[in-house]
Amino acid sequence: MSTLQKTIADKFLAKLAEDEDFDSRKIKQITDLLAADKKPKADDFAKVFASDDAGDIE
Amino acid sequence: MIKLESAHIEEVRGIRKLDITFGKDTFSVSGPNGSGKSGVIDAIEFALTGKMSRLTGAGTKGLSVAEHGPHVDKTKFPDAAFVSLTVHFQELGKTATITRKVSAPKKPTINPNEPDIRAAFDEIAEHPEITLSRRDILRFILIEPTKRSEEIQAILKLDEIGQTRAALNTAANRLQSAQKLAATQIDTSRDTLQRHLQIAEFRAPDLLSAVNARRKALGLPEIATLAADTKLDAGLSGGDKLPEFNKASQLRDLDALSGALEKIGPAGAEPATVILAAIARLEADPSLLDTFQRRALIEKGLELLDGAECPLCDRSWDDEDHLRKHLETKLSKSGEAAKLQAEMLGAGSTLAQYSARLSGLIAPVAKIAAGHNDAARLLLDRWAQDLETLRGGLSDLQGLVGIKSRLERGWHGLPGQLAAMLVAIKAAVDAKPDQTAHVDAHTFLTTAQLRLDDYRDAMRKGTAAQKAARLGKAAYDAYCDVMETELNALYDSVEKDFSTYYKAVNEDDEVKFTAKLRPSEGKLDFNVNFYERGLFPPGAYHSEGHQDGMGVCLYLALMKRLFGDRFTLALLDDVVMSVDSGHRYQFCKLLKSYFPNTQFIITTHDRLWAEQMRSAGLVTTKTSLAFHSWTVDTGPLVESNEEIWDEIAAALSRGKVETAAHGLRHHLEYASRHLADQLAARPAFRSDGNYELGELLPSVLVRMRELCGKAADAAQSWGNTAAKEEALSRKTALSESNGARSVEQWAVNKAVHYNEWANFGKKDFEPVIAAFKSLLECFRCDDCGSWLYASPKPIPESLRCACNKVTLNLKSKPK
Repeated sequence: MSTLQKTIADKFLAKLAEDEDFDSRKIKQITDLLAADKKPKADDFAKVFASDDAGDIE
Repeated sequence: MIKLESAHIEEVRGIRKLDITFGKDTFSVSGPNGSGKSGVIDAIEFALTGKMSRLTGAGTKGLSVAEHGPHVDKTKFPDAAFVSLTVHFQELGKTATITRKVSAPKKPTINPNEPDIRAAFDEIAEHPEITLSRRDILRFILIEPTKRSEEIQAILKLDEIGQTRAALNTAANRLQSAQKLAATQIDTSRDTLQRHLQIAEFRAPDLLSAVNARRKALGLPEIATLAADTKLDAGLSGGDKLPEFNKASQLRDLDALSGALEKIGPAGAEPATVILAAIARLEADPSLLDTFQRRALIEKGLELLDGAECPLCDRSWDDEDHLRKHLETKLSKSGEAAKLQAEMLGAGSTLAQYSARLSGLIAPVAKIAAGHNDAARLLLDRWAQDLETLRGGLSDLQGLVGIKSRLERGWHGLPGQLAAMLVAIKAAVDAKPDQTAHVDAHTFLTTAQLRLDDYRDAMRKGTAAQKAARLGKAAYDAYCDVMETELNALYDSVEKDFSTYYKAVNEDDEVKFTAKLRPSEGKLDFNVNFYERGLFPPGAYHSEGHQDGMGVCLYLALMKRLFGDRFTLALLDDVVMSVDSGHRYQFCKLLKSYFPNTQFIITTHDRLWAEQMRSAGLVTTKTSLAFHSWTVDTGPLVESNEEIWDEIAAALSRGKVETAAHGLRHHLEYASRHLADQLAARPAFRSDGNYELGELLPSVLVRMRELCGKAADAAQSWGNTAAKEEALSRKTALSESNGARSVEQWAVNKAVHYNEWANFGKKDFEPVIAAFKSLLECFRCDDCGSWLYASPKPIPESLRCACNKVTLNLKSKPK
């Protein structure tokens, strides 16, 4: 990963961590995707974002 | 990063066999066009990266390293073509050798084969941008903004950042589509429940009011609040449970489906028409259809891309990045198809929502049909399945093109016999006796609970989809924000450095030069100040030479940003050829003062520029290599080649007088230029610096005699007999040299002129060679063999050699 790419990835993850909907598990999954040798695919990201359990109606 | 210590090149491009000692210093390789200079750059680049830029990229179709990397006589023996580089790793404090064969470009031999050295070589292999050629400069300067953005992003490795951004964007879009579909499912299940409850507004009090009325009729306690686990049919024991049939509700479900066909049918027809019109356009324009189909195929290829092998045709590429760029370039060429694609996908998404709503209405009716008409039930199930298949085809290009006939039959695809069957089923339900209030209330509650369960399930899924869509959008926005901030900072820094470097090269006339590098919507605008008259594209008013200068300065600024202090090696292949001589000194100064820790390997076809690099102190005689010519048999012929006399003798022994004459002439040209510089000879001045051998060598002879005479006079004045004899002996040897006599005859006797040598016979030419060999010996030290030089310039005080055996004083004793 180039220096610039890593800088952007680090700041991106820090920004996501400020959003309470991105819990530590999600941040870890996204970190792993960005750090992997293979380039991240849209489906991989979509799976992470959609990995929550649903709530219920009141 | 690295610095080069030495190179051994064999049978690569135009080179047969060549050894170069770089010594970790900036190094120049000069020679006329076609003398093999760029072959040196190709070889170094190949050894470091396994690639040769000259054989890849735009305009190189049909070229490959495997086929065209070896010398033309070794194309069938690529194993013989290899480069071996000795490289110093500053950060590791280690030196290693990498040998790469053209036959196995991805499997270099590294010695010592240690993990840190392998990793360091792997890192360099990822940076082909260490090589800059003139065609690269055009990529930065005279290119349209969209392509400049791509090129600069590629050099800065920003393409990977762009790929991450694109993946996040696609993920966000997919999640948004999923959310829309989930919202439709919620609407459908809510409508189904609301229809059953017969409430005007879907609010908890209204729902409870409808439910509690039935519960009261059954003597069940009222439900005060609607919670997540509330059971509307709570209190009905299992034994009490009656069939779910609720006549009134079923009639409403049947009416809802019939009514929907009247409403949703026409509403969905609108997007269906858009899709059909787009398909018609594609069919009417075969080239557009072809582009469209290719586009769909390429998009699929990009999605499946995982490595250097093309998922569409199995062809192996040098690496994944090249392949990805190739596919993306193809995609970018189809703007009209892209617009059409966006229209079709938009309409497809709308139609998918209508289809989902219809499916939601079919499901309860299918249950009703089960008790009345199996054929109708089967038909309804098939219809629901058909609509699901339709939705599958609405989400991508290939699917959209493939559902043409389906849409032409009517997008909702209502089975022909079904309308009559529904009428019959409704009549059958209607004909059933009215239910007692008890049974009605009972089935009302059980059906309501089932539908509430469906609604809750849809809500759960909808909430999850909504959250996922929000997260997808938040992540994409966050990435774009960070990326934009960082790229703006990057471009600011590049812009500042670029302006500084350019001003350093042009400090005499463009002191107030400024530049603006601004990204916008995938473009990278680049404007430069023209003598304070405003900002213009570089090609608008600046000369070609200035544009070349800008290209190199922008490259240097980008490399500084990319590598920082680790920018230690750059290969500049004939990149400042249009920069005039005045600015070249400044260019040397720029490289020396701003990049003191960077080793530049610079090639040039301009002899004057090669000499300017030496006189400016950028390179030295030891760190310069000059080719005088090239032949397919020999490869580049080195001017200062110590083995030149053996090569001339070998050519003559084969009867190749012309080759021998060619070699002698070039060696004399090299030696006379070198000596004219070393001895401060005074030929008639030529503003273009293109001195002929016939002008230079005579002036060198005159100068040497003059210096020897001065040395003898000075020795005489100091009473140094030995020095006087040495000086006179050298002068005498020069005067008695047959070569010197020939040179003196050049102007008056055409028969002995060097232009005629090629026409000599072997026997006639042998003494010519001996004469000039002997002549040049007069200018060398007997011990170290180095050329003599006068020092200091311009008014020398001594005539010396490299080992100081020759040290002739030129200053006479003051009288």
